[in-house]
Amino acid sequence: MKKLGVVIAILVLATAAVIGLASCGGGGDTSGGGGQKGGHLNGTYASFPDYMDPALSYTAEGWTAMADVYVPLLTYKHANGEEGSEVIPGLAKEMPKISNGGKTYKLTLRPGLKYSDGTPVKASDFPFAVERMITLNSGGSPFYLSIEGAEKFAETKQGPIPGIKANDKTGEITINLEGPRGTFTNELGLMFVAPLPQDTPVEDLSANPPPGTGPYMITKSKPGKEWEYERNPYWAKDNGPAMPDLPEGVVDSAKMTVIRNPQSQVDDIEQGTYDWMQNPPPSSRYAEVREKYEGTQFRVEPTISTYYFWMNTQEPPFNDLKVRQAVNYAIDPAALERIYAGQIKATHQILPPGMPGYEQFDLYPTDKEKAKELMEEANPSDKDITVWTDTESPNNEAGEYLNEVLKELGFNTTLKIINADNYFTVIGNATTPGLDAGWSDWFQDYPHPNDFFQPLLAGESILSTNNGNFAKFDDPAVNKQIKDLGAEQLGPEQEDAYKELDKEVMEEAPWAPYGTRTLSTFVSDAIDLESVIFNPTFGHYLSSFEFK
Amino acid sequence: MPTEPSAERGPWSLALRRFLRNRLAVAFLALFFLIVVFVLAAPLWANHVADTGPNQEHTVDKVTVNGEEKDVVTPEGKPIGPQWFGAGGKFFLGADSRLGRDEMVRLMYGGRTSLQIGITAALIATIIAVVLALLAGYFRGWVDGLIARTLDVIWSLPVFLIGLSLGIALAVGGLKLGPLEVSSGSIWNPIFVISVFTVPYIARPIRGQVLALSEKEFVEAAIAQGASPLRVMFGEILPNLASTIIVFFTLMIANSMLFEAGLSFLGAGVQPPNSSWGTMITVGVELLNIQPLLAIVPGLMIMLTVLSLNIVGDALRDALDPRGKARLDAALQFEAHAGASGAVGGSAI
Repeated sequence: MKKLGVVIAILVLATAAVIGLASCGGGGDTSGGGGQKGGHLNGTYASFPDYMDPALSYTAEGWTAMADVYVPLLTYKHANGEEGSEVIPGLAKEMPKISNGGKTYKLTLRPGLKYSDGTPVKASDFPFAVERMITLNSGGSPFYLSIEGAEKFAETKQGPIPGIKANDKTGEITINLEGPRGTFTNELGLMFVAPLPQDTPVEDLSANPPPGTGPYMITKSKPGKEWEYERNPYWAKDNGPAMPDLPEGVVDSAKMTVIRNPQSQVDDIEQGTYDWMQNPPPSSRYAEVREKYEGTQFRVEPTISTYYFWMNTQEPPFNDLKVRQAVNYAIDPAALERIYAGQIKATHQILPPGMPGYEQFDLYPTDKEKAKELMEEANPSDKDITVWTDTESPNNEAGEYLNEVLKELGFNTTLKIINADNYFTVIGNATTPGLDAGWSDWFQDYPHPNDFFQPLLAGESILSTNNGNFAKFDDPAVNKQIKDLGAEQLGPEQEDAYKELDKEVMEEAPWAPYGTRTLSTFVSDAIDLESVIFNPTFGHYLSSFEFK
Repeated sequence: MPTEPSAERGPWSLALRRFLRNRLAVAFLALFFLIVVFVLAAPLWANHVADTGPNQEHTVDKVTVNGEEKDVVTPEGKPIGPQWFGAGGKFFLGADSRLGRDEMVRLMYGGRTSLQIGITAALIATIIAVVLALLAGYFRGWVDGLIARTLDVIWSLPVFLIGLSLGIALAVGGLKLGPLEVSSGSIWNPIFVISVFTVPYIARPIRGQVLALSEKEFVEAAIAQGASPLRVMFGEILPNLASTIIVFFTLMIANSMLFEAGLSFLGAGVQPPNSSWGTMITVGVELLNIQPLLAIVPGLMIMLTVLSLNIVGDALRDALDPRGKARLDAALQFEAHAGASGAVGGSAI
């Protein structure tokens, strides 16, 4: 009996020890989510991001690829859905102290942070990042032109920007704006202005991405083909403990490969050759994949997005309101729902469902006869137009659809289908000839309706390169409203104003919007679907993937 | 009645007799003509049977099949399958994609485009190749060296990769060569790419033949009589190359069609919304798991056309020049020998 007692005592102690170790989480072989810690993730994208440079990238692909590499002063909570829209401190110790009637933002850098190459992070790296981004004519620069002196800097490229003061000793950063800007906190959370070492070249670094402060670093980048991640060697000791709200990540390394055929991507995920695909399955396989894997390897991710066709409002024939209205009447969102195989919900306005200020309306219900009447009234002299779209399915088919609609309206069209890797770079460059009409989409940068107006429809957002206002819409009254509303904190009154602005812009019809998109998470059998985070701003976080 | 002695027949008549004896070739020639008639009948089918154009979309339309209304494209984005004659010939092979275009109509019009590109590119390549081969083989020396090296350079390029890059560049920006300007969606862009890259395949063997022919007595006699180089090249040597050129031209149509299909499949050939058999395979591949015929049928059309042209080409070679193969080998050996001795600056093939 004595021996039996000793054996039981040893068993009890051993069990307790095992339970104790398991509860230690990150320190053991299992992660907090119950999955395996470590491992190598093989992911696939259908196209290479527009840029692999935090100052320049302005696509969902680019932001997803770099979200765990470049941490701005503020960032977004690593969470799904609405919770993920919350802005939290990133490299800054706490949320900014706003004073001077909403014009002054004060932040303090967390001490002891290091870039992935070992360089200490300094407060002055922030103004450097802002100046670098503006110098590179980034599509994100309009967000920051309200900083005192930023507009002048954008013209002269001569710094420093007087509106940013940084003290490397204390880590204090003070930003003075020309006027109050209700969205500035959100905009500080975008990686356009993520601090970078001050010896970073002021050029597109897509082939050799600069060091960052996040849990991962990009060790290799072959534009158009692939890129690789490894853990940031300074995360575990320096940055991680300083930023406890940001996860350290589970996998040790990852490689992302561009596979342009989404059919192959789906096959590869099913066979376990790849662990995750960033883009949704192709429309032809969507229903099958959803039926087979929903809940185990597949999840539908609602987004706050608008898919639309833009028309160049500054050149004939689309400088004529009647022509633009005719296109809006001729577009049938129901047809586009089918083209997107049910992955899009028809809408016909700028703001998408889920965005504050959204209220459903449709100024142009499909009416082909009305469209033809308007065309007859307008009788444009220039009917030779170029229609633009990218190669990714079903956006290419959406472009073909627009092309056919415009032909039916009497235009002589040329359809240009550009590789998805550089589509937005091509159509965002003012020197590209024939930018008449085309396809585009927009996913929220942050949960504020101004994000659907200021970068896309404000006159000041018309840039010579990396332009986002493809319609080149520049209406002084609308510009004023965008500016005025952008200065205010969002409340019920402002939401009502945005509802009106939505209608007002659609009356001018610079776009023919047609829907809001659902995306998806599709992973291999080896990945724990529950752990994967799809953030409304950054998409899938690499740090959230873990093996079962 | 005694039969006419063959010695009294002309060479073309003899060749025709030899060709007609090859039943397989005749059968495939008939098949090729059938394919040509099929694609030429595209407007008839489109206007009188399918009642739609090749690029006309029917995404939200319905079609009556055996008295029952069906979506051309379902709300889930699945295009209707082959209806054969269930809808009076409409959507005979189904809809091509989620845009709901009639696959049969696109197949017929796409065939026109593919054949047009194949024949035009082969014609341009053959004309350029023959001129270059005549110049190189007749003048020899630095002229031959320059032409042969240029052909070597084109020959050594990874044809498909360069063709693909060039095709994509032209598809976006069009072609501007001096006064020549071709817009970006034009089928002249793939024709240009294919022509350039297929020239060496014809020029080099023909150059070998020109080298051999220019040593013949009739050429020497013409030169002795004071004939100009142009007269010798185009009046004396060229007629003796006719059979070889016809054979190469036939085979090059097939090659050009395959090249076009490849370029279009990769997005660098015929640009949407226009169809060719290559672009139709691209669209069909995406729907392979639900509508396999969308990729199989255009693939089959390419296979049958290329096969028939190859068989006809081989048969023409046998018929026009029964000793052609031996002669061609001799020409190649001659070229190799000349290249090795440095006499003409050519190189072994």
